[in-house]
Amino acid sequence: MILATFYSFLSSLCFAFIFNIRGKNILIASIGGSLSWLIYLIIQNVHGSNTVSLFVAAFVVSIYSEVMARVFRSPVTTYTICGIIPLVPGSGMYDTMFQTISGNISKATLAGLQTLTGAGAIAIAMVMVSSLCRLIFYKKKQAH
Amino acid sequence: MDTNRVLNTATKAGKIMLENGGETYRVEETMIRISLALGVKSIDVYATPTVIILSAKDQNNRNHSTLQRTYGISFNLDKISQINHLSRSIEMKHLNIDDFEKEIDIIEHKKGYSNKLTTVASALAAGFFTLLFNGNIKDFFCALLIGAIIKTTTIFLSKFSVYGFFINLVGGMEAAGIALFLYKINLCSHYDKAIIGSIMLLVPGLSITNAIRDTINGDLVSSVTRTMEAIFTAVAIAVGTGMMFKIWFGLFGGIHL
Repeated sequence: MILATFYSFLSSLCFAFIFNIRGKNILIASIGGSLSWLIYLIIQNVHGSNTVSLFVAAFVVSIYSEVMARVFRSPVTTYTICGIIPLVPGSGMYDTMFQTISGNISKATLAGLQTLTGAGAIAIAMVMVSSLCRLIFYKKKQAH
Repeated sequence: MDTNRVLNTATKAGKIMLENGGETYRVEETMIRISLALGVKSIDVYATPTVIILSAKDQNNRNHSTLQRTYGISFNLDKISQINHLSRSIEMKHLNIDDFEKEIDIIEHKKGYSNKLTTVASALAAGFFTLLFNGNIKDFFCALLIGAIIKTTTIFLSKFSVYGFFINLVGGMEAAGIALFLYKINLCSHYDKAIIGSIMLLVPGLSITNAIRDTINGDLVSSVTRTMEAIFTAVAIAVGTGMMFKIWFGLFGGIHL
C-alpha cells in the first residue's frame, strides 16, 4: 500500500510537469495525488465497493485542494487536477473497450456502467465539496 | 483613461487564461476585476471555451465592446495562476495600465517546460501508472517507451493544428499497437497494464475537472461543451485502442501467438 502511494505520488509529480505547474505547487499537487490513492486503497480494503472508495477519495482530495488553494492563493484546479488523475477510471474504459471488441456484450455493458458510476462518483464528490466551500466562505464574508 | 486600451488588455488576459485551461467563471471574474480596477464604469463579460464577448461603459456612458475568438487548449496552469495573482494585485500595488500591459506581455511570452522535459515526464507518468495498476518492472519499461512515443506524436501533430479527436485516436492506436508488439516478442508481461498506464496520459482529466466546476457555477454552455469534449476524447481513445486490437486479431487471429 505504501509502495502504491509512492507510485501515485510519482505519477502525479510527472503530471504536474505536463500541466506546467511551477514552484512549490508541484509538490503540493503531487501530495494530493498520493493522498487520493491512499484513501482509495484504504476504503476499498474496509468497505469493498469501488464506487464508494472513489467517492470518498475524490471528496477528501477536493477538500485538500480547496484548503491548499486558499492557503497558497492559487487556482483550485492546479491542485485538483493532479489529485484526481490517479482516480480517473482509465482501466474501466480499457475494460469496456476490450470486452466490446471481444464480443462479450454483457461484460462490456457491466464494465461501461461501472466506469460511468465511477466517473459520476468523482464528479459528485467534487460538486459537493466546492458547493460546501462556497457556503462556508459566504457565511464568513457576511460575518465580517 | 482609454477604455479601448483597458478592454483590449482585459481581453488578452482572458484569452490567455481560457487557452491555457482556466474555468469560465474565473476568466469572467478576472476580466471584470481588471477592467473595474483600471477605471471602466461598468462591464459585462460572457466567456465560453471558444469565444469571449465583452461590453463596457466608459465615463461618458458610451458603450464599447470586443469579441475575441479563442482557439485550442494547451495546458499551462502556471499562467492562469499568475494572471489571477496579477489581477488581484492591481488595487494593492496601484498598477496603472502601462505596468499592467507590460506584465501581461511577460506572462504571455513565458515559455512552459521544454518539450524534452514534458516528454520525459509523460514517459515516467505512464510508467508509474502501470506500476500503480499492478504491472511489473517489464511493463514499466514498455510503458516508458509508449509514453514517450505518445507524447512525441502529440507534440508533432499539434504543430499542424490537427483536431484533438485524431490525436487521441492515434495515441490510443500507438498504445495498443506497441504494447501488443512488445508482448508478442516477450518484452512485456501484461499488455493490458501497459496500455492502461499509457492511455492515462490522454485521459481528459482537465476537461472533466473544468466541466464539473463550470456546472457548479451555472455556466451551462461551457459545461456542456467541455463535457462533450471529455466524452469525445474518451471515445477517441477507446476507438483507437479498439481499432488496433481488431487489426491485430485480423492479422494474427488472437493475442496469444
